[in-house]
Amino acid sequence: MFSAITAGRRGSGLGFALPAVLLLFAFFVVPVAALLTRSVTEPELGLQNYAVLVGSSTYARIFFNTFFVSGVVTLITVLIAFPVAWALAIMPSRWASIIFAIILLSMWTNLLARTYAWMVLLQQTGLINRSLMALGLIDAPLQLTNNLVGVTIGMVYIMLPFMILPLMGVIKKIDPAILQAAALCGATKAQALRRVLIPLAGPGIASGALMVFVMSLGYYVTPSLLGGTANMMLAELIAQQVQSLVNWGMGGAAAFLLLVVTLGLYAVQLRFFDAKEAR
Amino acid sequence: MLLDFNKLGAWKWGLTAICVLMALFLLLPILFIVGLSFGSSRWLIFPPPGWTLKWYAELFADPRWLGAALTSAKIGVIVMVLSVALGLLASLALVRGTFRGREVLRAFFLTPMVLPVVIVAVALYAAFLRLGLNGTLVGFVIAHLIVALPFAIITITGALETFDPAIEDAAILCGASPWEARLRVTLPGIRHGLFSAAIFSFLISWDEVVLAIFMASPSLQTLPVKVWTTLRQDLTPVIAAASTLLVALTVLLMIAAALIRKGKSE
Repeated sequence: MFSAITAGRRGSGLGFALPAVLLLFAFFVVPVAALLTRSVTEPELGLQNYAVLVGSSTYARIFFNTFFVSGVVTLITVLIAFPVAWALAIMPSRWASIIFAIILLSMWTNLLARTYAWMVLLQQTGLINRSLMALGLIDAPLQLTNNLVGVTIGMVYIMLPFMILPLMGVIKKIDPAILQAAALCGATKAQALRRVLIPLAGPGIASGALMVFVMSLGYYVTPSLLGGTANMMLAELIAQQVQSLVNWGMGGAAAFLLLVVTLGLYAVQLRFFDAKEAR
Repeated sequence: MLLDFNKLGAWKWGLTAICVLMALFLLLPILFIVGLSFGSSRWLIFPPPGWTLKWYAELFADPRWLGAALTSAKIGVIVMVLSVALGLLASLALVRGTFRGREVLRAFFLTPMVLPVVIVAVALYAAFLRLGLNGTLVGFVIAHLIVALPFAIITITGALETFDPAIEDAAILCGASPWEARLRVTLPGIRHGLFSAAIFSFLISWDEVVLAIFMASPSLQTLPVKVWTTLRQDLTPVIAAASTLLVALTVLLMIAAALIRKGKSE
């Protein structure tokens, strides 16, 4: 009742939030709203930009690339992250903390540095192609950069920590007694995994997967460096329309589509997964 | 049984193997860059035919790299100070405030973190074209502050939530003014949160690429922008040297953050 805030001011503390609110309003809300407005006002009032975006096969290809790569990246990330998160949750803590430190190091290493590493590793004369040829597995170097294969590898590398860390928390919270009960009732390990552990971790997996998918949809740096200009994704389209073509109408329209999909998927996540975890 | 590591039997080795492979997958590319930066091959042959420091010499001899690094550091420090200051005020409002709609405000503060950066970048680019802020230090700081602030707010609200307001009240009952109580009791009480927020804010600004690409001009660019423009021309080992220095700085800051966390738990 004597809290400094209420004793010091008659107000409710709202004033403290004012600088941050003003900053975000002036340099976040207004600019984003202005950009989206330009999608229906430039070059003239109307929905023509959206008509072009939905109608042309060039853009259809870009949407396909974006959703396809994001989907594949999410799937691979989940398949690797689940066993790793499971192991990290139950491993002796000394081992776990070493692996944990590596995950954090990778996560905080500069994004361009990580992408550069993959550009060099995956190029025609790169270490991976040369090792595969030395082992006799392939005769000619594989094309691994400037296409969606490179983008997928680079993106999985970046997204793994975002999937492992939350999933580990989810698995740690599961009561081991439930799995003991499954074993006592005669479940084999495979049955316990399929019918107890995975369903219990399910909401965590789904919510992490959704987050990775959404983040992948809007990624710019890695797709443009590893994918090349021929394999464009949505974020690159927005940047290209605005920077090289100075077509603010189209850029705004593409940004609006990305925004709607992103917020829509986050709404799904809040609606379904947080409600489940709260129970 | 599945959640007891020692009762997993053969599965234990399977899981351990996946963990080790994943850790190598995450770690090797980083070690690979470090190796490349000391390798003598311009064509990035690995393992390198010999060892050299010439890429570092080239890096330090080029005033544009050094200039970009200085610009990054300057922007990072300003963003760090502003982000912690604004984040602290906003967190006080969110945690100690009594007004309605605090949850809505919290969600609002976190939206820049949720939206794809490219949208924020393009929107700010348009706004700054009108305001003449593109290619200026102020423009960079504002752009980076927008994305750093949510992280500062999350960290500081977390620290404030675990700090008992009764301690602040006690100071006031003992005769401190409300501001004195805040500055001399609450601030030291949440200093770990403030330090973490400062480190995160600096790192976010220091590493940020997408906004910086849009804000940069030929005369003013940050280190990531310099890496980006060089990368698009060729994959020179100079980038490996620059990346290695970035990794080294990240490791140092991570250790600092870990020490802060350790200090807090003791």
